[in-house]
Amino acid sequence: MMWSESYRPKSIGEMVGNEKVRAELATWLATWKKGTKPALIVGPPGTGKTTMATLLASQFGYSVVGINASDVRSKSRLNEILEPVMGNAGLAGPALIFVDEADGIHGRSDYGGAGALSLILKQATVPVILAANSDASDKMRAIVKASTVFRFGKVPPRLLGVYLKEILGRQGVTIGPGTIINIISESRGDIRAMFNLAQSFAHGFSPEVARTEGYKTPEEAITAFFGAGSRDEARRALESMRGDIREKISGIYSSIASAKTLDLRRAAKMMRAVSDADMLHGRIMRTQQWRLLRYLDALLASAFEPKLGIPYSKFSVSWPLLNRIRWDGNAIKAFAESVGPHLHASRSEFAVLHMPYILACIKLGAAEIDVEDEHADIIKKESERIK
Amino acid sequence: MAVQGVMWVEKYRPRTLGDMVGQENVLGSLLAFVKKPADMPHLLFTGSPGIGKTTAAVCLSRSILGDSWRDNTLELNASDERGIGMVRERIKKFSKFVGIGDIPFKVIILDEADEMTADAQTALRRIIEDAAAYCRFIIIANNISKIIAPIQSRCAVFRFTSVPKECVTERLAEIAKSEKAKFVSEGIDTIYEYSNGDLRHAINTMQAAAALDGGINKANAKKAAGITKSSAVDEILKLALAGKVAQARDSVIELLRVYGMSGADILRNLNMAVNRASYDNAIDIVRIISEYDYRILVGASPEIQLSAMLYELGALGSK
Repeated sequence: MMWSESYRPKSIGEMVGNEKVRAELATWLATWKKGTKPALIVGPPGTGKTTMATLLASQFGYSVVGINASDVRSKSRLNEILEPVMGNAGLAGPALIFVDEADGIHGRSDYGGAGALSLILKQATVPVILAANSDASDKMRAIVKASTVFRFGKVPPRLLGVYLKEILGRQGVTIGPGTIINIISESRGDIRAMFNLAQSFAHGFSPEVARTEGYKTPEEAITAFFGAGSRDEARRALESMRGDIREKISGIYSSIASAKTLDLRRAAKMMRAVSDADMLHGRIMRTQQWRLLRYLDALLASAFEPKLGIPYSKFSVSWPLLNRIRWDGNAIKAFAESVGPHLHASRSEFAVLHMPYILACIKLGAAEIDVEDEHADIIKKESERIK
Repeated sequence: MAVQGVMWVEKYRPRTLGDMVGQENVLGSLLAFVKKPADMPHLLFTGSPGIGKTTAAVCLSRSILGDSWRDNTLELNASDERGIGMVRERIKKFSKFVGIGDIPFKVIILDEADEMTADAQTALRRIIEDAAAYCRFIIIANNISKIIAPIQSRCAVFRFTSVPKECVTERLAEIAKSEKAKFVSEGIDTIYEYSNGDLRHAINTMQAAAALDGGINKANAKKAAGITKSSAVDEILKLALAGKVAQARDSVIELLRVYGMSGADILRNLNMAVNRASYDNAIDIVRIISEYDYRILVGASPEIQLSAMLYELGALGSK
């Protein structure tokens, strides 16, 4: 069994961290009467929001009616769950509604569900507790307004350490002090993550400790990638990168493209790996199958070759070309937008197929055309390029 | 003078369906719609570039709507519009009111619809239905396989075929005569060969050749055919196979990002360039091109894919 489940506290007193807020929540429920605002618990993952809500309910003699974000698909489904509890106390004592992942509900396009939820908040005849990782989004504003907010913070490392040692003792497991420090710092105040990490170590695994939050800028991560000693190390460098996944692909792509001394066949092999990763990314975007994302780092890691000393490059093209894209590209676009429609041509069709001929005819003195002055520069510049 | 009066490609664009060359099968049905517009469904025109799809759409609209055709026709190019939202807005604005004058409906010409993603096309399907009360759509695509089935099923599909050589050369000679340009038939034949059946390109080439010393002869036709930016693709292929990948890549990126050529267009031209030249390993080259064409089709980034392709072509050449 997972430690994070088997060691879920049995009473509020067994919980770790956030003592003050826990006491406030207990007061909130103890003094609850019809018309009291619902409680919204906000805090990072693994700090005990769900545990707190369920323990609170059971200690005050309520039976919990839980709603998860995934239940709130439609108004009728929500009413089906809630109608029976909104009235009188059931057999198992009075009910308490617990809405987990409240910040996930609005994110779905189920307006009916969101509407029903705000109705519950306003008209609840029983206590309601909501939990969310963040209340910062616009979507949460209505919920925040209708409730009393209780903030859970990350559990401090010292408390995590005490807790972890106690659990290890109960399990009869010993882990070296260095590893314990690693586990605590990697879990970043998330008790659940700490348990999961500790359990893996206890069973002899040595899991990748780097988590998705990452701590490296694209430059650091990609420099580490090309400087790695093995493909595995290179992959870990990617996993530790902060920011948009697109930046991983484009960072490696532009670095390979900008490398000066690279054997062509080796470069082709590396580019092929980048191409694979890029295609996977395209498929993910198109199908919205985000679970495929887990393969991205491995695919990109195939672009790794040891001891090449490729430096990081943010841009995939030289400065002159970059400037040409920026200035001439925009000027051509504007020219195409003003003239293209007269030829029933798209911008691209105009720039590739018509503009060169128009300019050639002007240059050869075979044609004169009226254009706005703003296009004069680009006409002159592009005319010079025609042989 | 305005550009449409100067460039022969526009000056000599057919004004009526009867003026068009080739496409006999298609034109018969379209003329029937002109006689009885009430029977006209939404239309989908497909076929390779430069054989008259857009011209036919404009001619049809002009014939049905008469003098007020400009006010009652909305021309959109999917490759220019920023997303389906823009398309929806423009169509909504245009289709809200009944047309001015005595017309059976308004016409919306949506060119290069195959540039739209499947998602955007799904949204388009709804837009078509909403606008159908007052409007008829003429949807134009080079590649019908990139048009989703629900849209195909809502339209009468017309396949435009390539224009026979005699028709092209005859039309070119007519234009040359009425422009009083100096020409020899060998020059016109050469233009045809370089145009790959694309009449727009052929007429542009002829106009440039006519402006050169000696007029429309073989040498000038060759020179003029190379003016189009897509001819850079021939050079790109040569550079890549010679191992000069960095240079080839700069040219590809210039086409993509300065001239706005699509990845699909670059690959189409690349494929033609391979067919024109005679490489011993042409099959290997085409295999590489096809692989990356596929990758772009499933949603990968054109710049990255074309770069990877050039490296692979370079590695192939260095064997």
